[in-house]
Amino acid sequence: MLTQFGQVLIFMIIAAGFVAVAFIAARLIGPKLPSKGKNSTYECGEDTEGDTWLKFNVRYYVIALIFIIFDVEIVFLFPWAVVFKEMGLIAFIEMAIFLIILILGFVYAYAKGDLHWDKPRPVIPALDRQIFKSEI
Amino acid sequence: MEQTIISLKNFIPECVLIVTILVCLLADLIVRKKSAVVAVIGIAGLFVSGWFVIGQFGVKESVFFGMVVIDPYSVFFKLLFIVSTVFIILFSLASKEIKDSTHTNEHVYLMISLTLGANLMASSVNMLMMYLALETVSITSYVLAGYMKKSKRSSEAAMKYVIYGAASSGIMIYAMSLLYGYTGSMNIFEISSILSKMGGTNPMLVIVMVMILAGFGYKISSVPFHFWTPDVYEGAPIPVTGFLAVTSSAAGFAVLIRFFSVTFLKSTTMLNGSLQIIDGIRWTEIIIVLSVASMIIGNFVAVWQMSFKRLLAYSSIAQGGYIMLGLVVANQQGLTAIFVYLVAYMIMNLGAFYALIMISNKLNSDDINDMKGFAYRAPAVAVGMGIFMFALSGIPATVGFVGKFYLFSALIESNMIWLALVGMMNSVVSLFFYIKVLKYMFLSKPDEENSGKIYYGIAGYVLLFILVIPTLLLGIYFGPIVRFAEMSAVMFGLK
Repeated sequence: MLTQFGQVLIFMIIAAGFVAVAFIAARLIGPKLPSKGKNSTYECGEDTEGDTWLKFNVRYYVIALIFIIFDVEIVFLFPWAVVFKEMGLIAFIEMAIFLIILILGFVYAYAKGDLHWDKPRPVIPALDRQIFKSEI
Repeated sequence: MEQTIISLKNFIPECVLIVTILVCLLADLIVRKKSAVVAVIGIAGLFVSGWFVIGQFGVKESVFFGMVVIDPYSVFFKLLFIVSTVFIILFSLASKEIKDSTHTNEHVYLMISLTLGANLMASSVNMLMMYLALETVSITSYVLAGYMKKSKRSSEAAMKYVIYGAASSGIMIYAMSLLYGYTGSMNIFEISSILSKMGGTNPMLVIVMVMILAGFGYKISSVPFHFWTPDVYEGAPIPVTGFLAVTSSAAGFAVLIRFFSVTFLKSTTMLNGSLQIIDGIRWTEIIIVLSVASMIIGNFVAVWQMSFKRLLAYSSIAQGGYIMLGLVVANQQGLTAIFVYLVAYMIMNLGAFYALIMISNKLNSDDINDMKGFAYRAPAVAVGMGIFMFALSGIPATVGFVGKFYLFSALIESNMIWLALVGMMNSVVSLFFYIKVLKYMFLSKPDEENSGKIYYGIAGYVLLFILVIPTLLLGIYFGPIVRFAEMSAVMFGLK
């Protein structure tokens, strides 16, 4: 007699078996004709450039965090929209409160300049000694 | 739906805190520079919230579908958190470290967010809610620990805190999932009744208990999980350090005590005031080990510290050990003793941190060597620090003595005399390093080049005085706090 978790186990064993069979079969039957093009990294047809371990600018993470906030907002909005008709005014007020809190956070991020993509600030070199005047 | 709206009636204090956070955030965006206005709004919000919390006294209700309960136990903790946050916000106005940081007023609403999380920690009875509340507290304290963006030590502290916190809360939530898998419920009352029926013969339950202790133990910085404490305390700005030592660890105790006393005690069998532990789950023994280890390591390592912040970090590890002694007894008297001790701990620790803020504002250092002869330069502050140090070591006629007295008498009445002895011996050791600070301040002469008198504004002295008064007064006239603790030692669902 199998428990429900036992059935899951059998499912997982079969799934793992499928992968193993596919790999072994490919290795046994498949022709092997390596070439330079085949062995290079695939990057949408372009030649690859540089190292994989490059640093991402920290600004990407800020944007990603703000994106997650709104992603989660959609997750909450969707079931709310489904039952909106039955719930009526209370649902509207609840969601309004939720959205106000979220939008305040967004306003904060905007006002603190977190959405500003840094523009290059050219530094004009300043001379601390003007040779022409002082030397003569 | 109906129940949600009815529940809101009992959720007003938290709602007030949320509104306060939002208003502070808006005010910060409007003033756009460092200003006391935001702090004043924050403190006003905390007072309003505290007023509603007092109104909840005596209520015993479960709200939001058994997620959160309102009972005297949670009311006590909420008041403790709100009072300490008011003080910490005042401290942060006085602190030079916060003044010099690049941020404007973010610390005010971050601190109130931490209070909100701590309030929820004290009142949640559902494992999921406990975890969420704990994370609210943790995430805000990571941000606060790294508040001084330009300071390398502060960033290092925040980084260490994040890594340690993530690991231990991960371990805890895994244990919670195991407990859920075993009992099929998230609500701690249901878990308790299911475990009472099954009996605790399953060895997995012990593993679960230890793993859950990893999460809660990291919040209260109990010994095997204490490694973050000295580094974080040293790196964070002093007001934040005080906040972590008082509010955050008291919140950890709130959730730890509730979780263990509800989940692993037979709530149905009550014999003359002592609660019975479910057979086979001897959690009090684990707590004894943690408590003794915390006391010994905290006190003995503190002896060697020359940085005042690290010394206070080890001292708070040891104090956490004392508080856990009250949990070992697992009865009403123990809980009362814990409450008395927590009030005392809050007052004297806040005082010690405030005196340290005053000192390091002028000296730009928290090294004890630099405090040589401080008593000649600023006598009032040095005497204040002396009183708090005596209170922390538990000298009679201070509030610290009352706390220790109640803890040890609770132990002796349940025939755990050797444990009380260990605690007392540790108090003697702790006396050494608390007095060491005073020795440097009072008995050494200041260096030649900096021996000038140091003066503070009148507000600084007033705040110090406000903290000195209860430390001494409640040490002599401690009836009110004991009565308050006895009234508060009532948990929802337990008689």
